Amino acid sequence: MKQTFALISTYSSDQFGICSALYELGGMSIIHDASGCNSTYTTHDEPRWYDMDSMVYISALSRNETILGRDSKLIEDILDTAGKYRPKFVAIVGAPVPYMIGTDYKAIAKLVEDKLGIPSFGFDSNGMQYYTRGMRDAFKAIAERFATERTISGSKPGERPVRVNLLGVTPLDFGMTGAVGSLKKWLVDHGMVCNSCFAMGSDLTEIAKAPDADISLVVSYGGTGAAKVLKEKFGVPYVYGIPMDASVIAEKIRERAGDGAGEKTGAGGSAGMTEKIGENSSADGSKDIVIIGEQVYSLSLAEALKDLGIKARVLCQLDRVRDSKVNEEKIEFIYTPEEDDVIRETKEADLVIADPLYGPICGAGKLIELPHMAFSGRMFENDIPNLIGDGEQIYNRIMKELKKTDEQKPAPGFASET
Amino acid sequence: MLKIAVYGKGGIGKSTTTSNLAAAFAKLGKKVIQIGCDPKADSTMNLLKGKPVSPVMNYYRDNDREPESLDEISKEGYGGVVCIETGGPTPGLGCAGRGIITTFTLLEDLELFDTYHPDVVLYDVLGDVVCGGFAAPIREGYAEKVLIVTSGEKMALYAANNICTAVRNFADRGYAKVRGLILNRRNVDNEYEKVKAFADEKGLEIVADIPRCQDINDWEDKGMTVIEGDPDLPISGIYLGLAKKLLDEDGQSY
Repeated sequence: MKQTFALISTYSSDQFGICSALYELGGMSIIHDASGCNSTYTTHDEPRWYDMDSMVYISALSRNETILGRDSKLIEDILDTAGKYRPKFVAIVGAPVPYMIGTDYKAIAKLVEDKLGIPSFGFDSNGMQYYTRGMRDAFKAIAERFATERTISGSKPGERPVRVNLLGVTPLDFGMTGAVGSLKKWLVDHGMVCNSCFAMGSDLTEIAKAPDADISLVVSYGGTGAAKVLKEKFGVPYVYGIPMDASVIAEKIRERAGDGAGEKTGAGGSAGMTEKIGENSSADGSKDIVIIGEQVYSLSLAEALKDLGIKARVLCQLDRVRDSKVNEEKIEFIYTPEEDDVIRETKEADLVIADPLYGPICGAGKLIELPHMAFSGRMFENDIPNLIGDGEQIYNRIMKELKKTDEQKPAPGFASET
Repeated sequence: MLKIAVYGKGGIGKSTTTSNLAAAFAKLGKKVIQIGCDPKADSTMNLLKGKPVSPVMNYYRDNDREPESLDEISKEGYGGVVCIETGGPTPGLGCAGRGIITTFTLLEDLELFDTYHPDVVLYDVLGDVVCGGFAAPIREGYAEKVLIVTSGEKMALYAANNICTAVRNFADRGYAKVRGLILNRRNVDNEYEKVKAFADEKGLEIVADIPRCQDINDWEDKGMTVIEGDPDLPISGIYLGLAKKLLDEDGQSY
C-alpha cells in the first residue's frame, strides 16, 4: 500500500516544519485546525518550547465553520489576538480539514495584513507533506518579505571575511546540540563569518541582512526556497552541504564491524570487515553501508565518511533537491517514500546509519543509531550528536562557487583548495 | 500575461465561447493555455478536433500517483493552444471543488507558466461559484479578470447575478474582478435590452454580443471552433474582435 508505514515512524509534517522555521523570529503562528491542544505542534517536536517563548496558536476549527466556510471566525480571532500581542508577523498554517475544503490561506493573510498592518503569510500546508516542504516554504516567505535590500556595499571578500548565510537550520534536523554555534565557529575558523542564519539564534534583523551575503550555504532541503529567492533577487550564489567530522560515526562503524556485522558477506568474517574498513578498502563495494535521513545532512555525512575511507550510500524518504549541485561527490543516492522500499534496500545492507526508530526494519544488530528529531521527536534528543567540524570539501565548494562570481578568495583556512 | 476566468449558467455556452476565444488569441499569434474546470471535461474538445485530452482527475484515478510531467496531462490543440482539463471525481462521490484546487497546485508544482510562458490563460469554470474549489480560478495568482457569459433568459441572468455577488464578496481578498458580460444570444424577446439593463444595474460592460449562429454548431460537429473552421466568417470576426479588445487592454500587441 502506498506510503503506509507499518513498522517505522513517520517524519514530521509540513506544519511542524513551518512552526519550527519561524519559532524564534517573533511572529505568531496560527494552525487552522480542529485540535484544541497545542502540544502536538509544539512540545513533541519542539525542544525550545519550555525554554523559549513563541506565539503558537490553534484555531479550534469546528464542524459548522468547516461546512459553512466561515473564514470570518478565524479572521476575527486572528485580528483580536494579533491586535493584542502585535507579533512581528502572522503565519496562518493549514491543516487537513481546511485543506479539504480549499481554504485560501493567502487571501486570509491578505485580509489580516490589510486590517492590522502586520506582515502576514498563508501557508498551504495540509499535514500530509513532510516538514522539509513546510520549512522550505516558511523560509522562502520570510526571505521574500524581510530580506528586501542590501544594507552594505563596497568591500570585497578578499578585504574582509566571506559573509555566508546558513539556510535551513532548525532543531528538526540539527537538534539542540550546539550545531549552530559549531557552524558559526567553523566559518570563522576558515576565514568566513555567518551573515544570516535561517533561523536558530537569529531574529528578523538578521534575516533582513541576508542579501549582504557573498554566498549561502544550504544545510538542509528546508533552506532551498530562501536560497533561490536570494539568488534571483540579489545574485547571492549558493552551495549545499554541511561541514562534518564523521570520526565518531566511523568509530561506531568499526566497532560494529568488529561485532560481526560483516559476517554475512564473508570476507574473513567480522575481523575481516573491521580490517577492511580500517584500511580504507571498503570502497570496493564489498560492504554495504546505508545512511537514512534528510538529503543534505545524509549526503554530507556520506562525504565525510568517504574522506575517512568508508563508502556509504544514502536513502532519503523526504523531499529532495533535484539539482546535481547537491551531490557533487556523486554519492549513491536512493529516493523512495515507501516503507517497503526501505525494507528491501536495508535488507542486504551490512550496516544502516539511521534514527533508532528505523530499528524495526533494520534490526538492532546492523543499526548505528543517529537520532533525527524530525523522525523520533524528542525521544532521543539527548543522544543526537553534533557532527559539525572538518568539512574541507565544503570549504572548497564555497571557494569554487565564489570564484565563479569573480570574487577574491579570502585567507584560506585550509592548506589546499583542491 | 492576460488571465481570464469565464463563468456563467450551465449550458449557456461557456466552453464554446472560451474555446473560440482561445482560438482567436492563437490566431492573433498568442501562446494560449486553456484550463477546463468542470467535471464534464469538455471545455477544450473543439480545439482538439474532438480527440479530448485526458483529465487530471482521470490520471489520479488510473495511476494513483501524481503525474511528473505536463505531457501526461496536457495536449496541444489548434494554434498551439495548450489544453488541460481538471475533470472530476466519480459522479456522486468525492469532491469536485477539491479536484480543481488539486489540479491548480499540481500545475504550479509542474511549473506550467514557466514552461510555456503563455500570453493568455483562460479558465473555463463550472456554472456557479458553489464552493471554495470553484472560486480557485479567481484567487490571487490565477485569473485577474472574470467574463460572465449570459443570454437574456431569466435563469441565465439570475446565475450571472449570483456570480457577480460572489466575486464582489471576494474583493478584499485580492481576487479577480468582473470585467464584463458576454451576451450569447438565445433569441429571446428584447434580449439585448434585458441584458443591457442588468449590465447597467451592475455597472458592467457588454464586451461582446454573439448572435445565435448555425456556423458554430456546424464546425462544432467537426470538432472545431469557427476560428479554425473559417476565420473569415462574420461570427469569427466577433470572437477575434473580443480577443483584440482584451489584448489592447492588457497592452499586448498582435
